[in-house]
Amino acid sequence: MTMNRRDFVRNMCYGGIATWALPRVSFAQVGQTGRLVFVLLRGGFDGLAAVVPYGDPSYRALRGTFAFSESELTPLDETFGLAPGLSPLRPLWDANELAVLHAMAIPHRTRSHFDGQAILETGLDHPVGSSDGWLNRLLQVMSGRRAGIAIAAGMPLSLTGAFEVESWSPTKLGVVDDAFLERLAVLYRSDAALQGRFEAALQQQNLVGEEPMSGGNARRGGITPLMQAAARILRQEQGPNIAAMEFSGWDTHANQGMAGGALDRLLGQLAEGLVTFRTEMGPAWQTTSVVVMTEFGRTARPNGTRGTDHGTAGAGFILGPRLSRAHVIADWPGLAEGALYEGRDLKPTLDTRAALKTVLAGTFDLTASQLERVFPNSAGAGAIAKLMA
Amino acid sequence: MNVTLRALNRFGLGARQGERQRISDARGWLKAQLEAGAPTLRATESTSPTAIADAVRALRMPGQRDEQERREARRRLVELAASEARAALDVRVTSDRPFVERLVTFWSNHLCVSSGAKILVAPLAGSYERDVIRPHVLGRFEDMVLASAKHPAMLAYLDNFQSIGPSSPGARAGQRNNGAKRGLNENYARELLELHTLGVNGGYAQQDVQELARILTGWTIAGIPGPGARIQPRPNTRGRGVVRQARPQQDGPLGFAFQEFLHEPGEKTVLKQRYKEAGAAEGERAIRALCGHPSTAKFVATKLATHFISDDPSPAAVDRLARAFRSSEGDLKAVALAIVDEPDAWREDARKFRTPQDWFVAVLRAFGSMEVNPNAPVVLRQLRQPLWAPPSPKGFGDTMQEWADPDSLLNRGELARTISRLPSVAAVDPRSLVDVVDVPAGNPLHTLIADASIPARERVALAIAGPAFQWR
Repeated sequence: MTMNRRDFVRNMCYGGIATWALPRVSFAQVGQTGRLVFVLLRGGFDGLAAVVPYGDPSYRALRGTFAFSESELTPLDETFGLAPGLSPLRPLWDANELAVLHAMAIPHRTRSHFDGQAILETGLDHPVGSSDGWLNRLLQVMSGRRAGIAIAAGMPLSLTGAFEVESWSPTKLGVVDDAFLERLAVLYRSDAALQGRFEAALQQQNLVGEEPMSGGNARRGGITPLMQAAARILRQEQGPNIAAMEFSGWDTHANQGMAGGALDRLLGQLAEGLVTFRTEMGPAWQTTSVVVMTEFGRTARPNGTRGTDHGTAGAGFILGPRLSRAHVIADWPGLAEGALYEGRDLKPTLDTRAALKTVLAGTFDLTASQLERVFPNSAGAGAIAKLMA
Repeated sequence: MNVTLRALNRFGLGARQGERQRISDARGWLKAQLEAGAPTLRATESTSPTAIADAVRALRMPGQRDEQERREARRRLVELAASEARAALDVRVTSDRPFVERLVTFWSNHLCVSSGAKILVAPLAGSYERDVIRPHVLGRFEDMVLASAKHPAMLAYLDNFQSIGPSSPGARAGQRNNGAKRGLNENYARELLELHTLGVNGGYAQQDVQELARILTGWTIAGIPGPGARIQPRPNTRGRGVVRQARPQQDGPLGFAFQEFLHEPGEKTVLKQRYKEAGAAEGERAIRALCGHPSTAKFVATKLATHFISDDPSPAAVDRLARAFRSSEGDLKAVALAIVDEPDAWREDARKFRTPQDWFVAVLRAFGSMEVNPNAPVVLRQLRQPLWAPPSPKGFGDTMQEWADPDSLLNRGELARTISRLPSVAAVDPRSLVDVVDVPAGNPLHTLIADASIPARERVALAIAGPAFQWR
């Protein structure tokens, strides 16, 4: 009997071959109260170049040759506009499904990628080398059905911890045919501890599929194909409901460019990926929240190599129908000389944990004490009022 | 369970063909490996102290070179890192003392540095394992930790070389000269307590971290410009008869330099123990004290038990190893002997899932490889366990939960198929691969391996991708 991969996997997972049990580990029956996708932009993305404070009187002088003119932007209000690359997000803004967070930073001051990412991913207010990730703690404290998945080449720290999670990545280390996978599956059936995991891998492959995706096959990487793959996994009624994703390339020390430049093209890919994710999720989008964050913002002024250096506060995004309306959340400190943090960076006025706690509370049914366990010592980072419906 | 295979795979790095028949006394074979002294590895010309120092200086002072020189420096760095990785992997694949080599990988991960977090570590990581871990892997734990504390790789990785005593002459002079804020960096002190010695619940407080960081100020890297490079130390007017070294040398090999003018003066207290002002000796005393702390024995024993027994070792087994550590005052050879004698490590039901590096090395040993392919470091990166580049100072995880995720199992299957297509694998007899891992009678692997209708290369792939090969 010859089967293609999809038939083979379907048979295997859904009992076409009667002796094959359903996977045990993965796809625990998840009742969908909500879905969360945490997207980490590794490298420190330039919030001032993404969500542009064109209305700030100091903006033009401070950014110099980097300053966008108002006509290039998608205006959100009298102060802020989206960079040209982010213009595909306009429909989400109009549909009240986009909130922009600005002057936001992790609760610990560092300009190290390593420490910054560790703080953002552990959800703590100081570095602890051995900590679990906050998404894993979320899975630990939530009640009811839940499952986490890393859609990334590697397990992000945010999802690492005692709660068992799944993974899918577009990494392909070799060409395998169905006959080989079928024989391998027979071998894995003899190992009770690993059988369910191997079958889960085949099932995720099946969900992501091999039909062409916009922007190329997911196995080739890139933001949009990965977001598309993520949607195909997350929209399943019985699928994982908490996902971690990550994209790098945001550490723009040199030649970050203007409209159509390196950073703007990357922002364009991000926006396209998010819009594609929303479309691909279908009805499941209604219960989904997406958070986009980075470890730190960049210097307020350009540096000597037409880029920006590691800074402090920056921007982030929340997307999804659970928002009460379109918002710009910013207790704006301003860009005047004296308002800058240490004379060089946008000053932080919003704690990343406040935003994350707010999204969690609006997406899942969580008590205050559960939230406190996800983000210990975060009482000072109170929820943002009226952000979520 | 086959006891010899357990010795070869659990304690060693993977059985080679025919090896199980050659070993009659599994425990004796392991203990004999501990008797031949430190498993030293010599630096080659391409990994010499001079080559390493050049590579580090090129990274540290890029502005002093033109584009051509920078490209050349970059090429040499890549070559150096590749040489180091191959030397380290070659010895894992070919060693006749695989138990000792496993101990090297264990301690190297326990006191890890990571080139993933800091590029400056990339040219230093090979030397770190060679010069810090290998000489002490059968010696004393405190000597290993102390060597680690003074190695440029660790000084750079956890930032200690940039830490300045806030009341030190260097901090005061620095502020006067350029106004830049200089001060304490607690990174290394914190990880020294949390990850290298006492463990996160080992009974220390934030105050201890800060005090330990103060003790370790002035511990910098000799041979590159450090944080004190732009500070002009004033002549020593207090007449203590000490001629201060103005700044570290900026040529010659890299090493450890204690710079007193960056050291926080005065008495410090860590874990209720007072340390009188004594320059570099303060830190040496403090590190030895941390290594002798009861929490350290417990923490290290827990990690060893997790590595050699199971993901969830019994408290009794941890206690036995902790006792061996304490009673020998951290003699790692005595501890290794205690691991061999630990009954739980030989229990039938105790399995350890092979990490990607374990799996890859075991595959090459099973094939009888004499050296690793130059692509090996890339493969390890794809398998998410790049050599000397763990994601955090905690090192790579050591349990099934961290490595046996669905995607990784599929990746091993894909990679196994790729490996099986290599020309060098044509000579591998698939039947030999059932001999190097424990495959119970009646397991479908026996049938598949004997099935001549399946191409031999595919049978090789099935053997190394199948579940039996994933455990040690």
